[in-house]
Amino acid sequence: MKMDEIKAVLELLEDTDIREFEYEDENLRLGIKRGAASAPLVTAMAPAPMAAPALGTGSAAAETVSGHVIPSPFVGTFYRAASPESAPYTEVGQRVEAGQTLCIVEAMKLMNEIEADISGTVKKILVENAQAVEYDQALFVIEP
Amino acid sequence: MFKKVLIANRGEIALRVIRACKELDIETVTVHSTADANSLHVRFADHSICIGPPLASASYLHLPAIMSAIELSGADAVHPGYGFLAENAEFARDCARLGVCFIGPTPEQIEQMGDKATAKATVKAAGTPLVPGSDGILDSLEEAAKCAEKVGYPVLLKATAGGGGKGMRIAQDRNELSAAFNVARSEAQSCFGNGDLYLEKMVVRPRHIEVQIMGDSYGNVVHLGERECSLQRRHQKVLEEAPSPLVTPEMRAAIGKAAVDAAKAIGYSSAGTVEFLADEDRNFYFIEMNTRIQVEHPITEMVTGVDLVKTMIRSAAGEKLPFTQDDIKMTGHAIECRINAEDPETFAPSPGVISGYHEPGGYGVRVDSWVHDRAKVLPFYDSLLAKLVTWGEDRDEAIRRMRWALDEYVVEGVKTTVPFHQKVMRDEEFLSGSFDTGYIARFLDR
Repeated sequence: MKMDEIKAVLELLEDTDIREFEYEDENLRLGIKRGAASAPLVTAMAPAPMAAPALGTGSAAAETVSGHVIPSPFVGTFYRAASPESAPYTEVGQRVEAGQTLCIVEAMKLMNEIEADISGTVKKILVENAQAVEYDQALFVIEP
Repeated sequence: MFKKVLIANRGEIALRVIRACKELDIETVTVHSTADANSLHVRFADHSICIGPPLASASYLHLPAIMSAIELSGADAVHPGYGFLAENAEFARDCARLGVCFIGPTPEQIEQMGDKATAKATVKAAGTPLVPGSDGILDSLEEAAKCAEKVGYPVLLKATAGGGGKGMRIAQDRNELSAAFNVARSEAQSCFGNGDLYLEKMVVRPRHIEVQIMGDSYGNVVHLGERECSLQRRHQKVLEEAPSPLVTPEMRAAIGKAAVDAAKAIGYSSAGTVEFLADEDRNFYFIEMNTRIQVEHPITEMVTGVDLVKTMIRSAAGEKLPFTQDDIKMTGHAIECRINAEDPETFAPSPGVISGYHEPGGYGVRVDSWVHDRAKVLPFYDSLLAKLVTWGEDRDEAIRRMRWALDEYVVEGVKTTVPFHQKVMRDEEFLSGSFDTGYIARFLDR
């Protein structure tokens, strides 16, 4: 939460008679106590270590996925299919074999086919088509 | 001005550039290896992209990963910092191809100054003094003698195909010259298959003095004074100071002009450093030009009051230099001690986890560091933990400040070179201000 967002929350509280306010998500815990004095007591805490913000909705560090994860070996753009007209390489629930192509990560105009390193069932697809991905970002979860 | 700058580096310099960008309201993107996921240069940037595993060759030096990150980030400019890809012409070219501004030299300037022979030839044409010597290969001993007579003894005979000190001999006078000539020739022949020699005046008790220059894209180049960088261990700088105790105002004007002329000769329009060897008579000779912002830039900032990183970003964005040569004044004295994660006596690298950390502060103290409590000092990158810089009204005050600043510095969990610097700050030869590039080696041998 940035400073101006915290300020916005404070302003919002001003108009109410709320005395104590707490907010928590995976990145931040914010506590505000308004006493008799005009200045509210604000404590904002970031957990250590902080997750590195990423391009996409998830980040390599913050993702706590269980199961066999297929990470991206490149920084690039994730594509579900070989081309906009093609069918996706795989879907959730599909059985895949080791060595089978799961997706494309395009880096600098080069299309890199990303293969499953084990056989199993695709349990989760963690990124969206055309999403930017980082090195080591979790792409798929396979259930052996 | 740029909207978004991607910083293709890590550690303290990445943080330095982030800070300058924040002051200029530029959005920052950094890149990091998996080992650096919790680094300050990741936390304090607006965005950060993981580009590879810990090994530098697979991450910070891996051009495809960096280019991919630049493309995806939407950055309109890139700052390469120092080291890594900062003087990689291919990187500069790739950025240009992508339509992204490389905050630094052009690819051609990188190549010109990257090759020592080309660099020397280029600046020679601009009138910059080089180490006097022969005009190319020596045809005979007689030619060598004539040349030595002209430049003055002692002289150095060097193999043109040489390296590592092979095919190189010193001659103190005409008598030694014949023997030196023949021996150097045969050694060069047997080591490199090429016995060709050239001659250079040997600079006795040399000092390494470098000049900071700054250019813009309007042809303006200004020098910001010199830095004394003679304190080196195995050709690595350990301690720098500005101004140099050797340099007088007259010498500063001359060496400054030589540096500016060299930069103008290649149309340089960014931050750069021109390196010279100087002797005790204050003769100076060009050795090379570094087309990047340097590690020791803070001491120039402290004595001139100019923010070099911000200025180079502004310059790259098309702004004119905000100062003329007459505006630049050196005030006071600044010293920088490079605090490395190394054994203070053996200098063996000391990786580990920082378990206790406290930086010194107070008037006249500046610390540029990437370190924080619980930071991991990994063997994958260089050992620089921090640059401890002090400024004083004169050299004595800067030294006194450095002494207590070093004493206050707490780094637990790894060994550091703080004790080494504490000793140097009390050493007679250092205090005299009269030392050469051999000083630290002698100091360590004592």
